[in-house]
Amino acid sequence: MAEKTKTILSVRNLTKQYPSGVKALKGISLDVKEGEFLVVIGLSGSGKSTFLKCINKLIDATSGEILFYDDQSSNNANAVIDICKVNAVSGVKKIRQKIGMIFQHFNLVPRHSVLSNVLMGKLATTSTLNSLLGHFSDSDRAEAQKYLDLVGIGDKAHIRADQLSGGQQQRVAIARALTQNPKVLLADEPVASLDPATCHVVMDYLKKVNQELGITVVCNLHFLSLVRQYATRVVALKDGQLVFEGSPEEITPEWFEKIYGAGAQQVHIN
Amino acid sequence: MSYKFKQLLFDGLSFVFVAMTAYMWILNPTPEEQIEKMFFYFQMFLGLYVVGIGISYYLSHLGFVTLGSKLFEPAYKKKDHKVVRWYKTFSGWQFLIVLTVLFIVGLIKTKFSVYELLNIDGFQGVIRLFNEITSPNLALLPKAILNIFETIFMAFMATVLAIPFAFVLSFVSAKNVMTGKVGYPIYLLTRTTFNIMRSIEAVLWAIIFSVWVGIGPFAGMLALMIHSIASLAKQYSEMVESVSDGPIEGVMSCGANRLQTVWYGIVPQVILPYVSFTVYRWDINVRMATIVGFVGGGGIGTLLIQYQGQAMWPEVGTIIMVIAIVVWLMDQASAYIREALK
Repeated sequence: MAEKTKTILSVRNLTKQYPSGVKALKGISLDVKEGEFLVVIGLSGSGKSTFLKCINKLIDATSGEILFYDDQSSNNANAVIDICKVNAVSGVKKIRQKIGMIFQHFNLVPRHSVLSNVLMGKLATTSTLNSLLGHFSDSDRAEAQKYLDLVGIGDKAHIRADQLSGGQQQRVAIARALTQNPKVLLADEPVASLDPATCHVVMDYLKKVNQELGITVVCNLHFLSLVRQYATRVVALKDGQLVFEGSPEEITPEWFEKIYGAGAQQVHIN
Repeated sequence: MSYKFKQLLFDGLSFVFVAMTAYMWILNPTPEEQIEKMFFYFQMFLGLYVVGIGISYYLSHLGFVTLGSKLFEPAYKKKDHKVVRWYKTFSGWQFLIVLTVLFIVGLIKTKFSVYELLNIDGFQGVIRLFNEITSPNLALLPKAILNIFETIFMAFMATVLAIPFAFVLSFVSAKNVMTGKVGYPIYLLTRTTFNIMRSIEAVLWAIIFSVWVGIGPFAGMLALMIHSIASLAKQYSEMVESVSDGPIEGVMSCGANRLQTVWYGIVPQVILPYVSFTVYRWDINVRMATIVGFVGGGGIGTLLIQYQGQAMWPEVGTIIMVIAIVVWLMDQASAYIREALK
């Protein structure tokens, strides 16, 4: 179990100020351990989304550092990357390849087939010309199909992505991220636009990915009941600051009130 | 404060317009005098403009809401105003006066004449013309049909050849693709170029190309192509700018480069509107090809202008009939296709 205590992402004093002047993150510091299922909670606008998008550079942080311990087995000094300092196109590509992401609104390409969407996970390792022509290698295709089978929709490979239900689309998005062979999977409100029943299906697949493939998951969530069920560790953001760090059981009603504000009510999903 | 600036420019212009119209009306100079004294009028225009800006500034200082401020003020200021009937507001009267003066000047400038419109001689001329046109000379029909095919294919080739250029240029001229220090200037440059290209009418391009490649359908086709590239690229790029960010974000998160992001994130979202615009452009080009033919661009337009020049109205009638049928058919067909693509 010693493996599990290794740090994979180390965030220090991360701040983000948008051009409009809004300070979304005001100095976040936290460590993400390898193999954990870390859940980030907090109100809308607390900076959860910004935090995740800073990690895979969909948003550039204003200051601070995010150390990514890429390959711990080697003693290569290059194995530690400060994500915030990477600006070159190739560097960003490398980071995104190793840190997959799924989104609240799935962000699939609607007119393409499910398989084609999953193959997009291989864009980073396919030459531009081949990818524009839609030529992916047979091994890539086999891998894409394998991950589609893993999330239980292998039979839907040739259906258009926008013909699927919300939960199925999110599973395609998971398969797409897995095809990248990532070390970390970021999940930005993965179930916020799904109905309660589908919600659990998607969360169960995330859990499976975490436990069976050993991929570290950092997940933003709204519902505390889901947090208790899936998280191995929880952090809470409030107004861009870290206000709580601990195990799911430690979120007492007092803490709940602190994080969500007085008068907030817990909503349960069963 | 930029809204204040716009307000002053607008109010100043409305003042200078009314004031100079009044001046002209009182002195009533002949056109020759007007041409001769144009520089003086220009100086007067600038002087009165400054006065107008001053008046607007003073009025809003006194608390009046001028038309300029009503138009340009931001939403948070609008909230503060009570609802008042228009005739009790300054801006309402300003609007009415400016509109009235505009209309009167318009009547004078277009030499609007009810007498000419109801003149019986002129009216009989029209009836004679109409009678001849509506008894078409069908002997010309085969020739007209042959020429309309030339026009249709001019329009078709112009559209097809414009597609690859417009497709590539549409991404180069989309604000959301061309970001950053390098991208934004390119965006501004391409957009400005398109606007200039579109502001030059296809007829003018036809004149240019008829000198270059000689009179005929090739010149007309090239003229339509240039115009189509600019128009399609602008319409395409507006589609690119209105795509949803989700798929783009999704593709980017996979580590795709810029070209891959455009191909997988944007193109699938815009391809249907593109086809729809293109079909419509062909339809428009058929109509424009006729006009382009008037100035030597070939096709049915050239035929029409030949017979019109000789006042051979029955032949003109035949040609108009053929054009009308084809334009109507193209219009219907393109409408059906665009409907089906939705």
